[in-house]
Amino acid sequence: MSAVFALVIFPGGVFILLAGMLYEWVDRKLVARFQNRVGPRWFQPLADTVKLLAKEEVVPDGVNAQLFVVLPVIALAGALTAVLYVPVFGLAPSFSFSGDLIVTIYMLSLLTLCMGLAGANTLNRFSLLGATRTLTQLFSYEAPFLLALLGPAIVAGSWRISTIADYAAGHWLILTQPIGFAVALIGLMGKLELPPFDAPEAETEIVAGALTEYSGRGLALFHLGKGVELVVGLTLVAAFYLGGVTNPLWFAVKTLALLVGLAGVQTLLTRLRIDQTVGLWWRYGALLVLVQFLALILWEGVIA
Amino acid sequence: MKLMTMWKDALESLVSSPATEKYPFQRLDAPDQLRSQLHWNLEKCTGCALCAKDCPADAIEIIVLDKKAKRFVFRYHIDRCTFCGQCVESCRQGCLQMANDEWELAALSKQGFDVYYGDDADVQSVLVGTTPPELEAAAD
Amino acid sequence: MQVPIMPAKGEKFIIPIGPQHPALKEPGHFEFSVDGEVVTGASLRLGYVHRGIEKGTEGRNWVQTLYLLERICGICSHVHATAYCLGVERLAGVEAPPRAQAIRSLVAELERIHSHLLWLGVAAHEAGFDMLFMHSWRDREIVMNLLEGLTGNRVNYSANVLGGVKCDIDARQTDAILAGLEHLEDRTRHYLTVVTSDVMFLRRTRGIGVMTKDVAEKLGVVGPTARASGVARDVRLNAPYAAYDRYPVELITATAGDLEARFIVRVQELFETYRVIRAILADLPEGELTVRMPRRIKEGETISRVEAPRGELFYFIKSNGSDTAERVKVRTPTLPNMASVLTLAVGHQLADMPMILAGIDPCFSCNDRMIVVRDPAGRGAHWTWDDLREYGIEYYR
Repeated sequence: MSAVFALVIFPGGVFILLAGMLYEWVDRKLVARFQNRVGPRWFQPLADTVKLLAKEEVVPDGVNAQLFVVLPVIALAGALTAVLYVPVFGLAPSFSFSGDLIVTIYMLSLLTLCMGLAGANTLNRFSLLGATRTLTQLFSYEAPFLLALLGPAIVAGSWRISTIADYAAGHWLILTQPIGFAVALIGLMGKLELPPFDAPEAETEIVAGALTEYSGRGLALFHLGKGVELVVGLTLVAAFYLGGVTNPLWFAVKTLALLVGLAGVQTLLTRLRIDQTVGLWWRYGALLVLVQFLALILWEGVIA
Repeated sequence: MKLMTMWKDALESLVSSPATEKYPFQRLDAPDQLRSQLHWNLEKCTGCALCAKDCPADAIEIIVLDKKAKRFVFRYHIDRCTFCGQCVESCRQGCLQMANDEWELAALSKQGFDVYYGDDADVQSVLVGTTPPELEAAAD
Repeated sequence: MQVPIMPAKGEKFIIPIGPQHPALKEPGHFEFSVDGEVVTGASLRLGYVHRGIEKGTEGRNWVQTLYLLERICGICSHVHATAYCLGVERLAGVEAPPRAQAIRSLVAELERIHSHLLWLGVAAHEAGFDMLFMHSWRDREIVMNLLEGLTGNRVNYSANVLGGVKCDIDARQTDAILAGLEHLEDRTRHYLTVVTSDVMFLRRTRGIGVMTKDVAEKLGVVGPTARASGVARDVRLNAPYAAYDRYPVELITATAGDLEARFIVRVQELFETYRVIRAILADLPEGELTVRMPRRIKEGETISRVEAPRGELFYFIKSNGSDTAERVKVRTPTLPNMASVLTLAVGHQLADMPMILAGIDPCFSCNDRMIVVRDPAGRGAHWTWDDLREYGIEYYR
């Protein structure tokens, strides 16, 4: 019974969806304020979702209809599953087993993968190009992002998120692994396709990228999935690098502080072309995080 | 070669109030020069209709009831008017003026967009589509 | 289920941009054939916003035509009116008083500020730098308010009349303009640093869309686009009109010819514009604002050239002695510049296309003077104004 509650109501399900919308609103509001605009009102993401859910879902010609309908559901389900293994709201994860870090990271990638597939599924040229870019970008940030999250795992000596979080609660790993922190945070931006990594959905080039043909329910589910992923990603980074999220207050303070940083970076940087994104990740991101990773392994080896 | 060159603007914007004007709740004063609704002065008009001829939007009609008695009705279509001010410029008698504060002219119905200036009785007769009785008598 | 048609080997994969596309603020149709992300070919179709304005002038008298032509462009409306007024005044053999000419130049320069700041924002938005977009447009409000205070309208100022100008300028307005310029100059200096030093932004502009001087001259490119390639071409200098012989402009050119150079040229032109406005305000001739214009213009034909914010604007006006123009021909600066987009596109990334397009500051509705209509009803090649009107209404019903 408690498992069902955890899945559907709290911390998964309804609560995390609402939290996703709240974080999306904070992000949009901050960007707007940085740009000297008014920005949306607090219920805007909720209103958008309700409106989209109420709308007819148009299935375009030439797509595999089942895939078209089911992909957003899988994407959202993946993001929601990831929630169960992460200390959201500063509470202990609902479920936990050895190696759940890997599962979580792959659950988070499921959304991006689904978006890529959704784009490739349609005949729309913007979608096809967007899908190509989405997947290209996935391959460029995924490895550095994984390595950046494995850094804390190495020093904690476990691949179980709750163990790493407990270890990190006593150590501010941002001080010992600054590169990992930066790469994890920027990797999260790449994952969420936030500017400057929004080439896959650059509106002035390819309209809405992979999701161009999506309207109504499918679009709403993808958006919800992104909101959930934002919360999960911020939680992971805060729990691993910012001294842990051991209670709801710390959770709110630390994730929101990270969100302010994200909003600032989004505002101040120009969109990168897809070739520049890939170049940046493989030339600098992957290399730097690898160097740090090597240093960590050596350090651990010397101590042990 | 710098990164994030606009950070100062971002911080300034964060603490200052938004640049967006909250229009329906706060109205800014219009500048003196602003061109809004046109007004016509019957006293000076000679009925030359140069304003109607020059109006690029055909927004002006001068209905001449009796040229000698200076009985004109000035029919002004606000919905067609582009507020260019050419009529004011063209009028040699200076009987046309554009207000600078009547600019909230949008409406839900077309009814109010036909504005008639002139003597009340004359306007009434134009509206009903009849000539006033004394003119009819004069015509007989 | 429909089978997806994938291009076979050697076939082109074409990305259509337009007629409706978020990168385009007005309808135009580009077809970019791409190989992966690299553009291998480009073609263009224009004419979606053909409004029959030149035909429209034939049914209007000289005065009414002025306001119709002013509405060719929503951004640089004043230069259209100025070009027309100067042409008609030349035909009629009258000259507007010096004060009117100075005010014409003043409004034109204020309009140039408004146009260049607008362009800066749009181009930044195309590159995905919305911060610069929002802030430059916020500052553009200052000059819009100045124009509103001076002429009475934010766009389509209607400052010109045949034979002079409508609006005069008093001490209070002078002070307001000078104060506004002070602030704008500060901001412009900041924007110049941003576009020349922001590393992320330079990645999208430096070395992108390079047009050499030769190519620019061969394509007949005009305005800031040409000046960024080192072509010294500015009507305000080459053939001074209105009051530009009294308040000379200095030419701003760059040699690089890439997108960065176009940013630099346009932003530096703003400083030059501030200087010219201050010169005009400091030394405004006294006198009348208008001279009497005849209602009928004597027979003849003339051309009139002015420097719009986007480049050279060309008017041909022919009179047959009546109170209506026989022919008004307009060539806006977008037309010669458009060819450069197609030439520069090949070999660049698809992601650079919106930037290259925005680099010339295109104005489609100004540009669309002709449309090829395949007429299903067979009503013949000559359409009257009423035909065009009816067709337009029917088409969008």
